[in-house]
Amino acid sequence: MQFSILAGSSANRLFSLETTMTKTQIDRLGARLKKAQFEDADLRLLDGYRRSFADAYNAVVLAIRETLLLQPTGRPSKSTPSIVEKLGRESIRLSQMQDIAGCRVVVSDFSEQELVVSKLHSHFDTAVVIDRRKKPSHGYRAVHIIVTTCERNVEIQVRTALQHRWAEFSEKLADVRDPAFKYGGGEETLRRQLFDISDLVGAIESLEEQLRDMSRGQIASAPGMMVRIDPVVQEVKDQVDQTRRKLDAILIKMIDEVKKAD
Amino acid sequence: MIFLIDYDRRRGEIVSMRTFNHDQSQAADETRLQLELDLKRDQIDREVVVLEAASEADLRRTHRRYFEDMASLAATPTLDVKRP
Repeated sequence: MQFSILAGSSANRLFSLETTMTKTQIDRLGARLKKAQFEDADLRLLDGYRRSFADAYNAVVLAIRETLLLQPTGRPSKSTPSIVEKLGRESIRLSQMQDIAGCRVVVSDFSEQELVVSKLHSHFDTAVVIDRRKKPSHGYRAVHIIVTTCERNVEIQVRTALQHRWAEFSEKLADVRDPAFKYGGGEETLRRQLFDISDLVGAIESLEEQLRDMSRGQIASAPGMMVRIDPVVQEVKDQVDQTRRKLDAILIKMIDEVKKAD
Repeated sequence: MIFLIDYDRRRGEIVSMRTFNHDQSQAADETRLQLELDLKRDQIDREVVVLEAASEADLRRTHRRYFEDMASLAATPTLDVKRP
């Protein structure tokens, strides 16, 4: 398979020629990046390869914005350190990486996430859904949808506000403390707390879904009538509040621990 | 809008951020490449990323880690996200 890389059109551009890279050449580039032994020429090749996702990225983001009326934030190409890290920690080749280009949609809660995922799945024929809510990846919860178009993959991340909060917090922790936190490593106490928070996010979203189901059931069973708040509903609401407070308490504890260590 | 962010992971801070119009994606890519080459030459380890959003406010909601410290990320409750 060959990948045509058009990266720039004027003579004074850094990458001015249309280059064709075979899958083998891409993977050889990946191997050099993995060893962190790369030259300027490799950065230029990587730049060209990343730019070859532009048509696919633009098609997917445009469809999301104009057809599905969502406002994703796009990342037309994955950063060099992120690519190098991914190649280093996984037995994946550069040509197999599914998230070179991508975008992110943050929605308010689980049921909106379900709705958005369903819309995206219906809209894109090639969509493959990766649900990281039931089986989180090192605590990371979200739904990723991989769409293939123009012979390229584009990853759409759909996160709830709570899942997003966890993801951003854990990434920041990885940035400033230890990159290993991102992939289930790092100092044990903080790592365990991150996992606890992730579990609580799952618990809150599950409870909120229960509440939604209960309220649907009540409305269906008593149309047009004043509905008395069921004690069971109140109990679940209290559980949600308690779990949220617990989550906030762990976050504050983590901040204190990080400050102490600094 | 297109945003070119030069981010220092260890310090958890943005070193510089440049904005481009939607039709300047090629210029953003070229600036990124030049910045990456310069950083490599000077042996400086930083993350350079191009992002695209309707506004800077949207970008700050979906990519908070570039803009906020850990305490702020921990303190802020649910995001004020747009409904689809």
